[in-house]
Amino acid sequence: MDAALPLRKTQAAELGSCNHCGEALASDAIREGDRAFCCNGCAAASTWIREAALGDYYQLRTSPAGRVQADAADFGAWDCEIVLAEHSRTVPGGREITVLTDAMRCAACAWLIDRALRRQAGVLDAGANAVTGRIVVAWDPQRVALSTLMQRLAALGYRPWLATGEAREQAQRRERRRWLLRLGVAGLGAIQAMMFAEALYLDTAQQMPVATRDFFRWITFLVSTPVVFYAGWPFIEGMLRELRGRRLGMDTLIAGSTLLAYFASLVETIRGGTHVWYDAAVMFVLLLLVARMFEQRARGIASAQIDALARARPALALRERDDGSVEQVPVGEIDVGDVLRVAAGEAVPADGMLLDHAASFDEALITGESTPVRRETGEPALAGSVCREASARLRVVRTGNDTRLSQLTRLVEQAQSARPQLARAAERVAGGFVVALLLCAVATFAWWHVNEPARALEVTLALLVVSCPCALSLAIPTALTTAHGALARIGVLGVREDALSTLARVDRVLLDKTGTLSNGRPELDSFATFEGMDTPTALSIAAALERGSAHPLAQAFAHVEADRVAHRVQAVAGSGVEGDVEGVRWRLGRADFAATRADDGALWLGDGARAFARITVRETMRDGAREAISALRDAGVSIELCSGDAAEAVASFARQVGIDAFLARQSPEQKLARVREAQSRGEVVAMVGDGLNDAPVLAGADVSLAMAEGAALAQRAADFVVTSPSLLRVPQAIVLARRTQRIVRQNLAWALGYNVLAIPLAATGHVTPWIAALGMAGSSLLVTLNALRLGRRERNERRGA
Amino acid sequence: MNILLLLVPISLILLGIAIGAFVWAVRRGQFDDLDTPAIDILRDDPLPTPRVDAEEGHDAD
Repeated sequence: MDAALPLRKTQAAELGSCNHCGEALASDAIREGDRAFCCNGCAAASTWIREAALGDYYQLRTSPAGRVQADAADFGAWDCEIVLAEHSRTVPGGREITVLTDAMRCAACAWLIDRALRRQAGVLDAGANAVTGRIVVAWDPQRVALSTLMQRLAALGYRPWLATGEAREQAQRRERRRWLLRLGVAGLGAIQAMMFAEALYLDTAQQMPVATRDFFRWITFLVSTPVVFYAGWPFIEGMLRELRGRRLGMDTLIAGSTLLAYFASLVETIRGGTHVWYDAAVMFVLLLLVARMFEQRARGIASAQIDALARARPALALRERDDGSVEQVPVGEIDVGDVLRVAAGEAVPADGMLLDHAASFDEALITGESTPVRRETGEPALAGSVCREASARLRVVRTGNDTRLSQLTRLVEQAQSARPQLARAAERVAGGFVVALLLCAVATFAWWHVNEPARALEVTLALLVVSCPCALSLAIPTALTTAHGALARIGVLGVREDALSTLARVDRVLLDKTGTLSNGRPELDSFATFEGMDTPTALSIAAALERGSAHPLAQAFAHVEADRVAHRVQAVAGSGVEGDVEGVRWRLGRADFAATRADDGALWLGDGARAFARITVRETMRDGAREAISALRDAGVSIELCSGDAAEAVASFARQVGIDAFLARQSPEQKLARVREAQSRGEVVAMVGDGLNDAPVLAGADVSLAMAEGAALAQRAADFVVTSPSLLRVPQAIVLARRTQRIVRQNLAWALGYNVLAIPLAATGHVTPWIAALGMAGSSLLVTLNALRLGRRERNERRGA
Repeated sequence: MNILLLLVPISLILLGIAIGAFVWAVRRGQFDDLDTPAIDILRDDPLPTPRVDAEEGHDAD
């Protein structure tokens, strides 16, 4: 687990930080003895934890908790039959449900959740997994309501979300266990088979009585059969699938060589030949199974974390009844014409028309615009946008598949299906190789059968074994697995398996601005004062006015120490705020509001007539953004900034990070067209983004990376998810992908070169079976070790950095 | 070499037991979560009591 970055260390040192969540404290912090908290939620959570004697949590944790939302959501709807039927299952004594949370940061969180839930009366069992973000609770509905338990979780800061449905959760768990069983059987069986094979190997002088030898061979056969057919079933299944599709791929190669070694050994056992290769078959299954398991585990973690964030559209909505009372209904039951209520901070469940009063919505997910948009009564509110500041009422206009959000989702799916399908070079090589090898074997057998029938089978077997495409089929998976492991260590999770080779060939990177290059938080840029006002005073007045405001710009002043207090603060919609500071009525906002000047996009401090200060605010750059850009340029990649934001904002930001090429006011469709245009020029385009508006582009680009804090849909459309907050991971991933490509090429060259040498020797009868087995094992080992270099060199670099 | 006729079946039986134990452990969900249990043994669960004075002293470290 990554430790939280000391983003605001300096400020935190001055004002202290929250005892629970570690956020910098404002002046209105809550103090309890020697402990201080940023909000009521954190204070309550901490008090409960200590009173329940779970204070050990604070010593065990490795990263601070998330901020606790004091206004806990209402989970009453979770008790209703529809939700329970779909999301939980019956267990002896009660029901069991799997819920997701994105607030678990380390194993201590899981420990705390376990303990906290088990304390509740009526809870039969509870288990939390910090890696997958899942909490499994079994409870007795007669004794405790599910909503009570969920309330407890939310009060501790782990807000639960409904998972994708109990059936899918169960299926995932079963699948994971089946893989583990396969690996266990392969491991235990392979070791045992090796032990028996050892005895046969040690009989170098052929002194073992034939009966003993055959006894050992049959025992080895017995032990290796389940390994080949049970543990190795995924490969055999893959081969059958590939054969049905009339193509020769990796699975054919793997299963083919395993079955070859296995059946050749069986033939030799029956025939009483000189050598068997059961050990080769089982080791081969074991090694490849381990490689595939690691790959799947990395991908499983990546997709589990994506699932944990899958909530762009809420599962439940607040619908008004005819008599004005409110009921909670599943989103699927909303009809056009219904009146919905959306609380501040909640996502809008369906496209609607705003009733009663104006409200502001954060549409970053849909349009990429980072600042909330103000909507007047009668204007549309889009599904997936988040209601800010105050709650809103709206009449539903479009539901389900007609919403803008669903349109974007469909655009993603279309772009994904139209993604230029890369022919996988290695598979082609492998496929051709298998065909050539089989022809070779047939020719050899035919020649020997005519000229020296007694040796025909032996020579053909030796040929097949020595040229066993093990090294060839190990060449790529081992390199990919090591590379994915190294990537995961730096915080880049590979979601799709063949993306790494595309990443290596990237020559143009498209970057989104908000959430990708910037972290979406504003910070003060320039500060000019007039009329004899000095900067600290102006800053302190502005900070006092913005203190407590929910407007996103207020965050820019959050770190300014306010020694003044503002009274009668009033927010003027669309203009700014005004309030009394030390007896003077100040205004902060647009120029025409604060100082009766023409609006120039900057923030002005004035008294309604005269201007005292002009403040510009810019977005904070993401960690390592500038370094990442120059690293990308060093890697020979051309860079372009594509944003949905206004032109000036994009231009100034592009200058800051050092990008020359930028495009502003881009809709998702335009961005996608831009990618297509570059692709038609023959370029390989990578897209880095985070928002839902980027999702179609992420899906349409040759290879794409999504930031982990971003929209779930964006991550589902991407090939890689960057969990590290630093943008430097992007150039690092590209460099690693290129190195992987190099290793793969070396491995393929070696495997092919070895075969070109060995096949003629074997075909002419110069290779005895045991030399064949040795050569096969040796070349596989060499290829594996070469692939392992990927992981090792990465570690050294990190140590040096 | 007749001892082999005894030893080899014994090793096979042991192998069967090992696989059986592994299957049992996987089915019981022993390998579902490999991260959280590591922290479980670090501290015993103290009995839930309203007074937690003993814990306060550790806050500094």
